[in-house]
Amino acid sequence: MFDFVINTPAAHKSYSDCSGCGLCTLVCPVWRRKRDLQHSPLGWAKALQHGAAPGDLVDALWNCTLCRACDPVCPERIDVSGMILKLRAQLVHPQTAVLQGRMAAQARRPAPACQEKTALLAGEALRAHPALLSRITALLDKAGVLVVAHDDGADISLALEAGVTVSPERLAALIEPLRRADKVIVADGLLLPYLAQWLPAARIFSLGETLSSLEIIRRNLRVTDLYVIEPRAYHADYVRLIKYYDRLRKERGCDFNLDLQRIAIPATVRGLPQRLGLMVPDDDAQASWVLHGRSITRIVVESLEDRAAFEKVSNVPVVHLAELADSLRR
Amino acid sequence: MPPETSELVLTEPGAIGPCHVGPDALLGIKRQQTNPTRWNGQRWHPFAAALRDGGIELRENIAACGTFATDAGGTAYGLPHGVVIARSAAQVSALLKAAQQFRVPVTVRGGGLTTEGESVAFGGVLLDMTGMSRVLHVDTEALTVRTEGGIFWHSLAEELRRYGMDYLSAPLNLTSSVGGTLGVGGIDVNSPRLGCSADQALALQVVTPRGDIVECSDTQNAELFQRVVLGYGQFGVITEATLKIRRYTPLRMHYFYYDSLRTAVEDMQLLNRNDASDYSGILTIMDCAVNLLVAFDSDERETAFRANWQSKLRGHGEPGFALCMLRRYALRPWKLPEAWYLLQRKRELFPEFRRSEYMHDGLMYDRTVVFSRAVWKFWGSKQMVIPDLATSAEKFAEAVERGNAVCRKYFPHYTLYCVGIRLRPEHKPHYEMSCIPPDAEGWAYGCEFEPMMDDRVYSRDYLQSFKNAIYDIGVELGGSYYRFGGMMKGYIRRVFGDEVVDRHLAMKREADPAMILNRDVIF
Repeated sequence: MFDFVINTPAAHKSYSDCSGCGLCTLVCPVWRRKRDLQHSPLGWAKALQHGAAPGDLVDALWNCTLCRACDPVCPERIDVSGMILKLRAQLVHPQTAVLQGRMAAQARRPAPACQEKTALLAGEALRAHPALLSRITALLDKAGVLVVAHDDGADISLALEAGVTVSPERLAALIEPLRRADKVIVADGLLLPYLAQWLPAARIFSLGETLSSLEIIRRNLRVTDLYVIEPRAYHADYVRLIKYYDRLRKERGCDFNLDLQRIAIPATVRGLPQRLGLMVPDDDAQASWVLHGRSITRIVVESLEDRAAFEKVSNVPVVHLAELADSLRR
Repeated sequence: MPPETSELVLTEPGAIGPCHVGPDALLGIKRQQTNPTRWNGQRWHPFAAALRDGGIELRENIAACGTFATDAGGTAYGLPHGVVIARSAAQVSALLKAAQQFRVPVTVRGGGLTTEGESVAFGGVLLDMTGMSRVLHVDTEALTVRTEGGIFWHSLAEELRRYGMDYLSAPLNLTSSVGGTLGVGGIDVNSPRLGCSADQALALQVVTPRGDIVECSDTQNAELFQRVVLGYGQFGVITEATLKIRRYTPLRMHYFYYDSLRTAVEDMQLLNRNDASDYSGILTIMDCAVNLLVAFDSDERETAFRANWQSKLRGHGEPGFALCMLRRYALRPWKLPEAWYLLQRKRELFPEFRRSEYMHDGLMYDRTVVFSRAVWKFWGSKQMVIPDLATSAEKFAEAVERGNAVCRKYFPHYTLYCVGIRLRPEHKPHYEMSCIPPDAEGWAYGCEFEPMMDDRVYSRDYLQSFKNAIYDIGVELGGSYYRFGGMMKGYIRRVFGDEVVDRHLAMKREADPAMILNRDVIF
């Protein structure tokens, strides 16, 4: 049976353990936009401690972007994003039936088993850019052992975000074809820790880390670049990745979208309504804040979503990490 | 016969009410003050209607009110009738005018990092200032910043760093707010050189308790400026502040270890008197394992320290202190559990202060992040009491030793945090009835006594008794306290005297006729 709770010591703590330090508020992009504690993990925890029910926090809970910035900063080691997902599961989202239908349809179309050692779960955004996907595949498939998974669990990711129960059948349909892979590369940062739990024998990496560890890309990072880390994967594996990106910073000298706590500042603020297409994203203020006061000549993004956000507010070139290999060749 | 009912005596705001606990209860525990009685809600509904008519959003639901039910101390609980999120000076002004008219108390909250219930609303309106938390203007030539008052110091640092700038001094706590800190003082490990955080305020926009929006500084409405800075929120709401800033520099850190509190205090004061370091402070693991932190902004200052002062310090480096401890416990084998605790604590704490992402080439970046994260990780809990003593330089070592003896009596483990505060003679009017002791000249010194709660549960009365025992020392020494509001306000008259308190109370009544603004904090 697959577990939807990330099994860390933090998972056994909840909002009742919150001591109220507010460090989560400092890194919360939704709080930053709204300047309202009710839109911060601290606000939810305190409200719940003092008599509120999840139903009293509906808007705030749906607006959370699940960037996971609050997880690594919590001194009580509460799995804050896990707490949010549990609270969302107690609410019933109006799109539940739609999401369940999508998962059921996917479960009826089982993907072929991955025959290669490395599987790439590209995600919807990358699939919408076939040229870039093919470039990434070529970069990663030097040894001819990579396969792009037919099923990348995009529907599961969305269901998890919405607090909708994922059926064992649907989950098995995603996981079983990946059993042979000993390395899984995933573009969707939300899925990363779940995959690590569901596929304990495999090594799970984010697409950003995988690409940035390639020498052909790494050596083309410039001192005047702003390198934009995809927050969900980074915060999910913070203890390891903070050291990884610190080494990259020392080696290449580029700037990062890290705040003073070394938390990745998201370039977008997209809660569930935006992810479900029910509201139009408005990322301008957040993307501008990432750029505020920085002297840079290029923005390098791990996530395509971030590229679109920066292109709207910046005059400097915005490139996907994979495109650095092309510019080197030129 | 119906049971006999007891009626709570309503207390006139500004007076200290009777303790509602029976005189025969909790024998042996000296009681000074309990939480205030909750405001009874008189005229709340017409007040709420007036606010809404004026376009002010007032939240009365449990989610909004429950968010602010307690403060960082976690021992004072109270629910407001409603919450207003500050959005502009005009909105705060309208709120306070209505509050005066309907005599509804307004409790102002920034980061909520009080420990004595000072930012907890016992009824009335809770005004959440974090809604006004934007940086308005950074002037890198004049080295000033104009910011909204509800901003967290950390958010301010984030923005200033983009300009290569930093604030002068701020509490080693990321979620303290600028407005809240200017109202009470704020100490940093550079306070021995730069003064308390409140001293960096150049000008303020204040909404007075009557609702007037006033700009004030040393030269403009100076009397209001004097009352608001270090005024414990009694004379106005700080909606904007102009602060001094400086160029950002990482720190060159040195740690010296002592087995004597007094020696460490004397060495810290030696450094301060001679301007030998840019930062200094004492943090203890136990009273026999005392760390004197010394740090510098530049190579030049560090070199001068090495040449002139380092040899005069009596503390050890880490290896030398390890030998010292080895000798100590070899001679006292029955104290091995203590040695084990020290060792465990060292293993937990030291790596946190040396995390590679904050240390490069021997320099510490973002000291506030490092210290604040450690504070919350190792000292934070749902209940915190941090009584403190502030004295003149001459009385400080005695205050620390006597406070330490109280800690030993009450708790198995605790931490002391000591720091000096450079005083500015021209700010003397600000200092009256504040954390700065009246007899301090040159420097004031403060020591916080923070028990480690571990997994133990202590009753509020036990904690109150501990705080009282510490604060009694302050009365005897003629000192002051950082946290004398809220549950500790019973000490205000004892330590400052009736003449000073009555004078300030008269000013308060003049400025705030209905006594609505932060009414239970100190008066």
